[in-house]
Amino acid sequence: MATCCGATTEKAATSGTVKRVALVGNPNVGKSVLFNALTGAYVTVSNYPGTSVEVARGSAVIEGQEWQVIDTPGMYSIHTITEEERVAREILLHETPDVVLHVLDARNLERMLAMTVQLVEAKLPVVLVVNIMDEAERIGLKIDLGLLQERLGIPVIGAATARKRGLDEIRAAIANYRCDEGNSRRFAYSRLLERDLGEVAGLMEGEYILSRRTLALLLLQQDEEIASLVGQREGERYSLISEKVREIAFERRESFHLDLSLERKEIVKKLLQDVFFAPEKRVVTWAERLSRMSVQPLTGIPLLLIVLYFGLYKFVGDFGAGTLVDFLEKRLFVELFNPWITHWVQVIIPWQVIQELFVGEYGIITLGIRYAVGIILPIVATFFIFFSFLEDTGYFPRLALLVDRIFKRFGLTGRAVIPMVLGFGCDTMATMVTRTLETTRERVIATILLSLTIPCSAQLGVILALLSKYPGALVVWGGCLLLLFIVVGFLAARILPGEAPMFYMELPPMRLPQFSNVLTKTYTRMQWYFLEILPLFVLASVLLWLGKITGFFEKLVDAMTPVMASIGLPRETAIAFIFGFFRRDYGAAGLYELQTKGLMDARQLTVAAVTLTLFIPCVAQFLIMKKERGWRVAGAIGVFVSVLAFGSGYVLNKVLLMTGLLA
Amino acid sequence: MICGFCGYEFDESEGKKGCGGCPGGCHSIHCPKCNYKNPLEPKFVKKLRDLIGGSNKKT
Repeated sequence: MATCCGATTEKAATSGTVKRVALVGNPNVGKSVLFNALTGAYVTVSNYPGTSVEVARGSAVIEGQEWQVIDTPGMYSIHTITEEERVAREILLHETPDVVLHVLDARNLERMLAMTVQLVEAKLPVVLVVNIMDEAERIGLKIDLGLLQERLGIPVIGAATARKRGLDEIRAAIANYRCDEGNSRRFAYSRLLERDLGEVAGLMEGEYILSRRTLALLLLQQDEEIASLVGQREGERYSLISEKVREIAFERRESFHLDLSLERKEIVKKLLQDVFFAPEKRVVTWAERLSRMSVQPLTGIPLLLIVLYFGLYKFVGDFGAGTLVDFLEKRLFVELFNPWITHWVQVIIPWQVIQELFVGEYGIITLGIRYAVGIILPIVATFFIFFSFLEDTGYFPRLALLVDRIFKRFGLTGRAVIPMVLGFGCDTMATMVTRTLETTRERVIATILLSLTIPCSAQLGVILALLSKYPGALVVWGGCLLLLFIVVGFLAARILPGEAPMFYMELPPMRLPQFSNVLTKTYTRMQWYFLEILPLFVLASVLLWLGKITGFFEKLVDAMTPVMASIGLPRETAIAFIFGFFRRDYGAAGLYELQTKGLMDARQLTVAAVTLTLFIPCVAQFLIMKKERGWRVAGAIGVFVSVLAFGSGYVLNKVLLMTGLLA
Repeated sequence: MICGFCGYEFDESEGKKGCGGCPGGCHSIHCPKCNYKNPLEPKFVKKLRDLIGGSNKKT
């Protein structure tokens, strides 16, 4: 006889008053969300003994009773194939949970209910959680949960755990589960299979967690672990059982698994009759329509341009780098804070050289902090809001599919969208993420394109703000970068040997972004970005101050002056390039300052913006390149990028001068 | 947590963390399925959620 509830087993009886609830189900059905909702963030995670499979455990107090909650690895059937499934079944067999919460996806009820049938016929104390009901309802599916409960003979709860729907009902079902009410439902198979099951089960006499009927089924499916378990429990009788199983298995050797699968399908079909209703004409939601539009080139590219226009140009460029920077940098720092702090530093520190360190031309406060807080912070903040918003809608995987065809020509796949998109946040971070690409060839090509043509958010924001005053300049800058991206990508794919790998991915649903998600992600990204850049900005200010007092900085600017002149830029632009080597965003901020001083016209601004965007990656990115690709590749990329940056600046300057464009 | 790129739902403990690349320690979790870098929820937000969650118990 099977023990319906873990509480009646020897193990549970010795475990005091703590009861156990195990969460089982296919992967990706919301088990972890439910686990976290039941237990909170504090859990212990450890490898299941003898395996590398991790199992999370937590505890919860539900209606005054203490429960241990176990999040089992994803499983598709009680008849196990993978190590994860074996671990999940081991937990059911050896940890004797008092309640087994089977979580399934309402949208795939028909496919996943077969496992509920197995759990019920195993006489486990099952509660069925039909999860993701919100999405199911949105696509027009209707599920009669009451009728399903009646037919299965177990508690059935509709939920949307990600939206906290159904959690109270789940807690109540766990707390009020009575094993004497346990499932006694039996799902009838064909006469032939019932006879076989009856013959094998009838030979068993031992006590088991799973029902004998289930054990018989598993034995007929040649489950070695179950054979070993039954062998231990039955002792000498096992030879009879084993002989019977062999006999039946031989008789049905051609189609046992197929027959069983078809019979289960039939059982599920009967269970769902009048329970599950899918609309005749499937309701196409706005999210699905938008999703389709975003992956088809004809609609996807205009949609991408709209996203870039409103997200990057208007929000990051216009609002972040325009309105906010104007307020913070000009009003707050230049007009109010800097004069005030300069006065006090001059009062407190008598030595001019030390005053310079804090409030001089390259002072830690007047330059470093002003750049970081007044210029970079508002741009990065608006960029990360835009980025997190898009991320939360599920747009990125669609963008990956959209550009996959184009990227293939550069030896990349849509997967490279991840580092490319992240590059707009920070190229250093994105260079690190190139390791997720499948082949070395892909990683090298992506690293080159990142260090060359993808400006980081702060740089992008400043450049958009600078050039938006001259729409033609913005078009020239964008055109140059796009052209170089295509040419360099195309050539790199031809020069570097190897095949472009395949790319496919399951698209998650498109959804309305959640305000709290966007806020949390933006906050986290900004916090660490800012903590990373602030010390570097301070360090750069100190180095520049040292360079100034030793005269080294002037010499460096002098040395770069002919190069600047060759691309038609004033001497002072060298300062922005030196800043840019510390950090790309620092360089962009330097450019911003030169423009506000009225030192550059539209042509010069465009040439400087193109050259600076293409210019050698900042120190941090270079170090990561070295770490990821090694000295040889990183060095080669550095030299190539620098030569190409100034070469492009030179050519662009000549073209603009000759054509009189942007004059 | 749910991966911001592929939508895969996973536990923080399943994700890859701490490649050593970021200055100042690791603040992200890489999705076990697609490797996308997901930002870690700040501690105070977690605490806030726990506070709102109410009945959960610390283990």
